[in-house]
Amino acid sequence: MLVPVFTLKLSHKILPRMVALGKYDGVHPCLTAATQAGKVFIHNPHARSQRVNANRLVLSTQDADISLLNINEAVSCLTAGVLNPDLDCDSLLVGTRTSLLAYDVHNNADLFYAGVPDGANTIVLGTLGDMPSPLAIIGGNCSLQGFNHEGKDLFWTVTGDNVRSLALCDFDADGKKELLVGSEDFDIRVFKEDEIVAEMSETETVTSLTSMCSSHFGYALSNGTVGIYNRTSRYWRIKSKNQAMSIHAFDINSDGVCELITGWSSGKIDARSDRTGEVIFKDNFASSVAGIVEGDYRMDGNTQLICCSVDGEVRGYLPGSQESKGKLLDTSVDQDLIRELSQKKQNLLLELRNYEENAKQVELNTQVNEADGQKGVIPANTQLQTALSVNLGSDSESAHVELRISTSNDTIIRAVLIFAEGIFEGESHVIHPSLQNLSSCIRVPLTPPKDVPVELNIKAFVGYRNSTQFHVFELSRQLPRFSMYTLSSPDSAPGPLSFVRFTLNERVQMIVMWLKQSFLLPEDLEIQNVSFEVCFTSLRDAGQLWIKMTPGGEISINTDNVDLAGDIVQSMASFWAIEDLQVEADFPAYFEEMRKALVVVDNSHAVCQKLTANMADSSNLIRSVLVRAEDSRLMGDMKNMKRRYMELYDLNRDLLSQYKIRCSNHTELLNNLKAINQAIQRAGQLRVGKPKAQVIAACRDAIKNNSVNMLIKIMRVGTLSS
Amino acid sequence: MDLNLNRVDYLQVGVTSQKTMRLLPASGRKATQKVVIGDHDGVITCFGIKKGESVPVFKTLPGEKIARLELGGALNTLQEKIFVAAGSEVRGFTKKGKQFLSFNTNLTENIKAMHISGSDLFLGASYIYNHYCDCKDQHYYLSGDKINDVICLPVEKLSCITPILACQDRVLRVLQGSDLLYEMEVPGPPSVLALKNGDGGDSGEEVLFGTSDGNIGLVEITGVSPVDKWKIGNEKKRGGILCMDSFDILGDGVKELLIGRDDGMLEVYGFENSKSPVLRYEYTFSESVTSVQGGCVGKEGYDEIVASTYSGWVTGLTTEPIHRECGSGDGLKLSHDMQNKVLSLRNELEQLQIKVLQEREKYQQSSLSSTAVSAVPTFSINDKFTLNRDDASYSLVLEVQAAIDTVLLQCDVPIDLKDVDKNSAVVSVVDCESEPNGNFLLATYRCQANTTRLELKILSIEGRYGTLQAYVTPRVQPKTCQVRQYQIKPLSLHQRTHCIDRDRPMNTLTLKGQFSFAEVHSWVVFCLPEVPEKTPVGESISFYFQNTFLDTQLECTYRKGEGYFKSDNISTISILKDVLSKEATKRKINLNISCDINEVSVNHTLKLIHPKLEYQLMLAKKVELIDALKELQAHEGNTDFLIPEYRSILEEAEQLIQEHKKQPTSLERLYGMITDLFIDKYKFKGTNVKTKVPLLLEILGSYDQNTLLAFFDSAS
Repeated sequence: MLVPVFTLKLSHKILPRMVALGKYDGVHPCLTAATQAGKVFIHNPHARSQRVNANRLVLSTQDADISLLNINEAVSCLTAGVLNPDLDCDSLLVGTRTSLLAYDVHNNADLFYAGVPDGANTIVLGTLGDMPSPLAIIGGNCSLQGFNHEGKDLFWTVTGDNVRSLALCDFDADGKKELLVGSEDFDIRVFKEDEIVAEMSETETVTSLTSMCSSHFGYALSNGTVGIYNRTSRYWRIKSKNQAMSIHAFDINSDGVCELITGWSSGKIDARSDRTGEVIFKDNFASSVAGIVEGDYRMDGNTQLICCSVDGEVRGYLPGSQESKGKLLDTSVDQDLIRELSQKKQNLLLELRNYEENAKQVELNTQVNEADGQKGVIPANTQLQTALSVNLGSDSESAHVELRISTSNDTIIRAVLIFAEGIFEGESHVIHPSLQNLSSCIRVPLTPPKDVPVELNIKAFVGYRNSTQFHVFELSRQLPRFSMYTLSSPDSAPGPLSFVRFTLNERVQMIVMWLKQSFLLPEDLEIQNVSFEVCFTSLRDAGQLWIKMTPGGEISINTDNVDLAGDIVQSMASFWAIEDLQVEADFPAYFEEMRKALVVVDNSHAVCQKLTANMADSSNLIRSVLVRAEDSRLMGDMKNMKRRYMELYDLNRDLLSQYKIRCSNHTELLNNLKAINQAIQRAGQLRVGKPKAQVIAACRDAIKNNSVNMLIKIMRVGTLSS
Repeated sequence: MDLNLNRVDYLQVGVTSQKTMRLLPASGRKATQKVVIGDHDGVITCFGIKKGESVPVFKTLPGEKIARLELGGALNTLQEKIFVAAGSEVRGFTKKGKQFLSFNTNLTENIKAMHISGSDLFLGASYIYNHYCDCKDQHYYLSGDKINDVICLPVEKLSCITPILACQDRVLRVLQGSDLLYEMEVPGPPSVLALKNGDGGDSGEEVLFGTSDGNIGLVEITGVSPVDKWKIGNEKKRGGILCMDSFDILGDGVKELLIGRDDGMLEVYGFENSKSPVLRYEYTFSESVTSVQGGCVGKEGYDEIVASTYSGWVTGLTTEPIHRECGSGDGLKLSHDMQNKVLSLRNELEQLQIKVLQEREKYQQSSLSSTAVSAVPTFSINDKFTLNRDDASYSLVLEVQAAIDTVLLQCDVPIDLKDVDKNSAVVSVVDCESEPNGNFLLATYRCQANTTRLELKILSIEGRYGTLQAYVTPRVQPKTCQVRQYQIKPLSLHQRTHCIDRDRPMNTLTLKGQFSFAEVHSWVVFCLPEVPEKTPVGESISFYFQNTFLDTQLECTYRKGEGYFKSDNISTISILKDVLSKEATKRKINLNISCDINEVSVNHTLKLIHPKLEYQLMLAKKVELIDALKELQAHEGNTDFLIPEYRSILEEAEQLIQEHKKQPTSLERLYGMITDLFIDKYKFKGTNVKTKVPLLLEILGSYDQNTLLAFFDSAS
């Protein structure tokens, strides 16, 4: 049984996921966390004397060990660590919605302050790949940016959606760290410097990532899932109704392998085995866990696991000693084992009893009648059949994919439960017909919002109309990736203008195989020709998709949807394991949008500058009016004082309205910047491997040079061939 | 003194009912006691413990489900004869397992409760109480509501026989012969009775009771009237009481009170200096504790608490320390024993696995034949659907002997699901807005491994009535699911009481027509919870109810051909009127419904709501301020500059947040009820004021009692 070796009750709230431990003077560890009102507090119990109130740093009046750092803006991420390898102490890094601050706590000085228009949602500090010095890498709106200790951004790339979590991990075991990026489009991407080497699709926003030993890493999703990957294969995952606030790798039982420590929104902390996910230790806080760090906080040579709750409670745990291995839980393990085995035995006995009783029933009567139906007796040869098809919809319902579930005889389906991730609001969908509508066939409309392959786990309750007990049929079906596209006749409409074109050395049969795997096609589709052309219509927006192949192996995909084109290219690439693929692409409408977005960004920047100037003017004015008003008051000139204060009131109101304009201007700017980042990401998505990284890098250069035409040209042809 | 108990699992039998396990008294030189337990398969198992292993004494053949198990014997001798109640039969066994009695009571209902004293046998079926002496019928009583437990004051101490019935309608009925001596109201439906210290205390008149909503108390049943000794409420919102015993586990010479609850809590209350008990120890099992008794089973010299749970586990919480230190011989032996136990279990499992695989194959084979049927036997579900008085919500508890896989909840009327902290199941609620099948709620609960008990909380709306269905699928192959139905009645938030305040302004609904007493009773059963289904004896009957959320009341008095429903809440009357006329039309009975509306009652109800509403509004306001105040505090470093009101908010912050968390929807519910009240008031006047509801909500938004009262009066 593990008990905390120390417990602290700090009087400050701690914002979730914003806790770090740093040795700012190189010796004494200090717990640092973001708190309310744009402040960061530093708890330094070891060096009390040598602190002063100055600059940003203010001593807390409540607690002698705590000093407060004023950021004056809501903190969005925070970390501490070695940024400048020449200094032998840690730096504190604080990110907000618009900036990144690197701060030297010991000397009370800013190292650098960088404006980041994409915002800093999350931050990680460390060395990436072959880069010589440590980088502070921040993830913002679709963008990733890495700064060195001088504030120079040495690393930049884009990703599919807003970044929510980052981690550095030696993914391919080559001794160098890769960057793991979790984003709001449910993907975990692995960057080897600026090239994507792997992509794993999850089922919700990825909120936390942490590197375990070797190529293992832990992840947490916003729907309460935590799990562990080894490279691209998932070892295990569990789902709870609570949310995982923070995950951390720590060897709590001293067996040489890190366990995954998870802090939950319910206040629970648990440690799970790296391989199996089995809980080996747990404890409870009164409120949600805010963060988990590790360090030698008592300065006695032992590393503790330090857990903080949002209410400011901090507990430190020492890892269990070698002897007590496996006995961290207070209930005795043997008893638990016996109970578990007995439970298993009981289950088997129950199953056995089920078969025995069933056999008895079979002997008694072989004809099913109504009375038996109530007890859940059904013919033994009852089978459940499923079929997926495309339903083009009618006036009352929109087009959808239809899952038809039916029984093979007169039994009815009382209800159908479908568990699938990512296509329903929760994790499940239920069809429960009313009593008069019961039949042996149920149609379930499905509308997957994204083009990802989905595994449907179906549970159908089969019985008779007045049954109180039903048989549960369980089966799973795979929903193809592009199930929301239906085959239409090619000559019905003019093809879309936009296209992607590339050459593949594959036979037509292979292409047809890919088509059959990825789309819901009618059974009788036959393509024998060397060249062929298929046309699909999207069920979502009736957009057209043409896939053509010439005898020379040139494939062209015509669609106005850039994302769809990207998805198809990526799907083909993974089907044939293509490593590098260069394509030619043209999306006139989309490029025109981009051009407009870039203009808007320029305008927004200009407006922002103008507004900032105005604000400075106003604040100067306010200062002088205030002084004059106070003068009047001291002189007893009440009439003038009143007038001045009225002026002040007006000025204040103007400032407020200007602030609102600034805010909306800023949101617009952010949205457009995001759109541009996404465009670059999409342009990359159309290519595979090296060309992909090259396109992204070239686009970045074009943006830096403010050359719109160059940017669009790159997107069109890939690299700039000199 | 700290109580440290270690858990030892002894044996698992079938699913057990309440009060079906007892310890036989120690006999001869041996100090350890034997355990006897009866289960739903009808098997009585008697076993002792030798060196940590269970050694069977006897085991009977399966039969009808055993509802009760008691010990008896001639007065003033060792009580070591075993009596069980199964169906309508009582059987007696010696401690060796020899059957010496088989007594068919010929009762039409199954026996639910049993008490034995010497040659006197007291039985409670659903509504019937019977007293037999030497198996000869002595006395008979028909109770107004279901009998949950029966007990008799010790005959040794008092010369007369005084049976006490615990009845579902919240009363203890004290009998004399076949007649009711008196009844006394208790805080909830009593579910279990026990004699204090096992012998009724010094006077022999002290009886402990436990209720299904978790209260416990002690009363002294004197010849003329009952005397309340103490009561312990259920502040921690724990489960209902299933079993009680008195035993000196602390070894301090005073018997402690042992309590087993249906949420798996086992509690030990001690009596120190004060008269009322203090909680000394608690242990959490994962399922209902059906029986509990103190004694010595595992090892001589070490007292323990023996408990049985719903799925049939017999478990001891022993004072015997578990040796863990390496090197000590005892410890090593213990772990050696353990290893053997695990090994034999594993072997057993392997053999079972093989057998199951064979059977599974056979079952699969049968699916190829066109004539075979697949009939999987029903599994037992222990369920409870009850209204909680303190937050006017329903709790649904489902317990299955095997682990639960998924639960599907479906309801055809709008209800709200509330999260229960204890639940670890992953909930997913399906959006029912464009549901073509008339479902208002579809939700799946996917349980974590080893969950055998699931607790859900539901908020209902009065006037919206229908059925809640739960489809429970356990993790047992072949997979089956069972559906359970629960009625959500039109006046779902009402609860039975026995006394009402007659000074309140009342609205009356009068019902006249050609209907029988049974018919009007069935309508009342349809409308209101906690009414016995059986038509009461006599010509007429009165029932009293209290609205658990608003504290308004309802009085129902009816007989053949007429009925009177009086309530101070006009909405209650309105709902009754709608439901009754609908029901009557369904059965084509011509009903004459007239309402006598008392205008004053509306303001009276608003005044009843006022303190609740004000409290909730204040609470919401304060909670909203907490974060801002905390920020100020962090900024300024102290709170001296704040006005006392704000300072007190900061001081009480934690309690306020707790309170707010507990009832997040209270305010909306209150608003809903005030709106209903408003609409109903004018409905009786024949005006439709639905268009004015937004105005009313606006007034509620900036609540002031007088404005609201004025609005209610003026709007028409």
